[in-house]
Amino acid sequence: MPDTADILRLESLQVHFPIQRGLFDRVLGRPAGAVRAVDGIDLNIGRGEIVALVGESGSGKTTVGRVITKLAQPTGGRLLFEGRNMTAERGSSALRPYRHRVQMIFQDAYQALNPRHTVFDIVAEPLRSLRLVDNVTQLAERVSKALAAAGLNPAGDFFSRFPHELSGGQRQRVVIAGALAVKPELIIADEPVSMLDVSIRAQILQVLVDLRDKHNMALLFITHDLPLAWLIADRIAVLYLGKLVEIGSADEITFNPRHPYTVALRNATPQIGGNAGRAVLPALQGEVPSAARVPKGCRFHPRCPLTFDRCKKEEPPPIEVGPQHLSACWLAK
Amino acid sequence: MTNSSQDKAPLLDVNCLSVDYGLKGVSLRAIDRVSFALQAGEAVGLVGESGSGKTTTAMAIAGLLSPNARVSSGEVRYRGSRLPIDDDAAMRPHRWCETSVVFQGAMNALNPVHRIIKQIAEPCMLKLGMSRGEATARARELLGLVGIPTDRGSAYPHELSGGMRQRVMIAMALACRPSIVIGDEPTTALDVITQAQILKLLGELRSRLSLALILITHDLSVVAECCDRVMIMYAGRIVEDGTVAEIFAQPKHPYTRLLIESIPNPASGKKMIRPIPGDPPNLVNRPSGCAFHPRCPSAMGVCGTEVPSLDQFGRGRVACHLHRSSRGDKVAVHA
Amino acid sequence: MSESIVQYYPRSRTRAIKAFLGQFLGHGGARLGLLCLVFFVAVAAVPTFLVGPLQTAINATGDFLMPPSGEHLLGTDEVGRDVLNLVVHGARISLVIALLATVISLVVGTTIGMTAGYYGGRVDVWLMRLTDFFFVMPSFVLALVITPVVLEVMGRGGEILGFRPSLFVIIVVIGMTSWAFVARIVRSQTLSLKERTFIDRARVVGSSNSSIMVRHILPNLVPQIAANGALVVAGAIYVETSLSFLGLGDPLQPSWGTLLSLAQRAGAASAGAWWYLAAPGVCVLSVSLSFVLIGNALDDTFNPRRRVIP
Repeated sequence: MPDTADILRLESLQVHFPIQRGLFDRVLGRPAGAVRAVDGIDLNIGRGEIVALVGESGSGKTTVGRVITKLAQPTGGRLLFEGRNMTAERGSSALRPYRHRVQMIFQDAYQALNPRHTVFDIVAEPLRSLRLVDNVTQLAERVSKALAAAGLNPAGDFFSRFPHELSGGQRQRVVIAGALAVKPELIIADEPVSMLDVSIRAQILQVLVDLRDKHNMALLFITHDLPLAWLIADRIAVLYLGKLVEIGSADEITFNPRHPYTVALRNATPQIGGNAGRAVLPALQGEVPSAARVPKGCRFHPRCPLTFDRCKKEEPPPIEVGPQHLSACWLAK
Repeated sequence: MTNSSQDKAPLLDVNCLSVDYGLKGVSLRAIDRVSFALQAGEAVGLVGESGSGKTTTAMAIAGLLSPNARVSSGEVRYRGSRLPIDDDAAMRPHRWCETSVVFQGAMNALNPVHRIIKQIAEPCMLKLGMSRGEATARARELLGLVGIPTDRGSAYPHELSGGMRQRVMIAMALACRPSIVIGDEPTTALDVITQAQILKLLGELRSRLSLALILITHDLSVVAECCDRVMIMYAGRIVEDGTVAEIFAQPKHPYTRLLIESIPNPASGKKMIRPIPGDPPNLVNRPSGCAFHPRCPSAMGVCGTEVPSLDQFGRGRVACHLHRSSRGDKVAVHA
Repeated sequence: MSESIVQYYPRSRTRAIKAFLGQFLGHGGARLGLLCLVFFVAVAAVPTFLVGPLQTAINATGDFLMPPSGEHLLGTDEVGRDVLNLVVHGARISLVIALLATVISLVVGTTIGMTAGYYGGRVDVWLMRLTDFFFVMPSFVLALVITPVVLEVMGRGGEILGFRPSLFVIIVVIGMTSWAFVARIVRSQTLSLKERTFIDRARVVGSSNSSIMVRHILPNLVPQIAANGALVVAGAIYVETSLSFLGLGDPLQPSWGTLLSLAQRAGAASAGAWWYLAAPGVCVLSVSLSFVLIGNALDDTFNPRRRVIP
């Protein structure tokens, strides 16, 4: 894909958090460890594309989202937005043009809204802080439009409400409206429906899909739920312990996974009406190791049912197994 | 009771149970005339959204209702005798020994300053009158049962992963050999792979110890994996009850159908999002008639005025006016 | 702004305020404290109307050290001044000093605590070290040392911002020595607020640090500041009383502490003139008690477990 088509590129992105050493360790001269939350990720998102980032807790998926929204600073690699290096940009005024185009939706809408602000203030906040409006009439108009686009109608009824007066679904719509208000080109959605009631989830997903269809917005959809990723995304990237293990089109990843971890994830996901071909691999034992002690070689090898000698020594690179389908497994070929 | 009738008599019989919560002088109905029976060794999923009353139902059965809750009608029978579910002291011998609960937040339910083996041994000592040595031996046995290496018993809760802590919770629930285990969203906080491990463990324990299992969850697909029967709750009432196979193949109630359709299912091959309009009702503003009628695509005039009763339909039960004609002219009875 | 905003806005606010008052006034202590405080504020507002101009030795109306009678409800002092007159005029001075000192203390404490908590790192370390210094320093002793020195340097004559220098110095000294307590509380609260997702969101939508502090953190600190502010007032009244009792007050603008000091010097205790000591003493006690009651009730009302307003 040509560079210009990508709205966002991550190049071997790395986020390591240093571990505070105790006095004892310092005296003994033990090296300072690091939590390798994100450990070299390459990912591109095209304009108007929906990419799902799938992983368990501790996989670093949230940290990737925080780096893209500039809430966390990478320790290595590059973050390119429309080919421009944004890795080192800091400070609210320097980031203003970027913030205008990249917005975020949070998992817990209740936590993401200031309990002392009204819905109007919440949705108006980005417009005010990014200086996108000249007067109050314009402000009210854009807030109304954003609320309506997020499915809160009539918008005026919600202006003076406080977050605690809304239902869970409405709160998430307010968060979405706040992100929409600036008309961004890329939205990072971090588990936007996992806290919502099942019957509300589809409504919120509909709003997100509409954004892409109507406004050609790109979406990075962070989730732990593979079927959900399949439903909404064009492409799926599977993350394990801070590294992408497999990336490909949603259908490929769901129906033709080539990495044992993706297969395990798919098999573990409870399904209505059974799961054809489930028992191909035995169920995974144990849990994700800590990102402070990443295993040598392939980081999945201690839990992998197909592991062999090479996996313990060498880390497999992403191997092309199909069109636009990469898998980081020695057995993928 | 003769032997033959004992085979058929349900282990647990919930009859017309209603629970109200007193809140600032107002009484709010959390569950409304809930009736069902549970056979020994059966696994039932209790599915509903937040505020549907699924947790209240289960807590009532376990005698763990909060102090501001009041049982306003109905009764719960266990092996034929009535349970004093609103009397905390009278429930004590029953609770944990006959019915035990696995809670969602394992971290909150475990005491951070005690080793897990001690926490598992404690109910054995308190409830079964075991000595410390016996209780520790029993705790070891339980650790083995839930798949925790025995030497991990000396760990503190924070040293264990989420899945391991949930296993400890299960071990504690099994300590007094109950016949019913209630799982209150036991896997909600866990990752997919860990969830699969825990669900598998529950299934194995169930068949090995012939436990009856009540699984409270908001996730229909979890129920599809590990239950025999499923009851769908909406706004404090059971709206549909049937075997897993039947409900997923042919849901009768529109709510059940929409709920199933709103779960992404790659096996179906259809990438379609079909939202259920509107918000789930809360305790304060419950719609009249059938509580689902404002969101129901097949609502009729009668739905807004008359509460459909939960009646036998085929091999299951359903509370919907759509399925009334086939029941002849039987008219729902209202309190 | 469209009409619906203007119409809707106050209604919701009113509702929140009503809910707050309902819960706050549900506390018996809060009602008592508020009643007592309203009484003293009313008295302090119009002292001349209630008891005439402040009496001095020249315009004293009574005999020396007369016990309470119909003419002098609270008796007289050693130069024949009416004690009721002195106490009523003293209310204004005492309350003004305590409230202004509290304002200084809250402004300094909140600014330092919030800055330290929000920026963290080196800023936090240095600001908190400064706070610790003031925290462990017995503020009363500090005030006791600073006040006479400053008075010596500046002289006791003239006026600063409408106050006699000694009062002005007392206000500033009390304010500057009592903020550490506020700063510690504000900092710890800021640390927890900073981790909330809505701060992340504010950053993502482009709000600057100062705007996040003013628009997001500060409003959520109000409950803590209000509840502790009331306690700071109570403390300020005590410190003011003590300083004046030790003779650092201004004899021309007598506060309750000054009156206690005068009474002590006139030998009121040994002469059996209990009214002279009791009147200002009871006033100090009841005002500081009412602030403590209000502070506790506020703390209770704003307690996140039971609060009715967001």
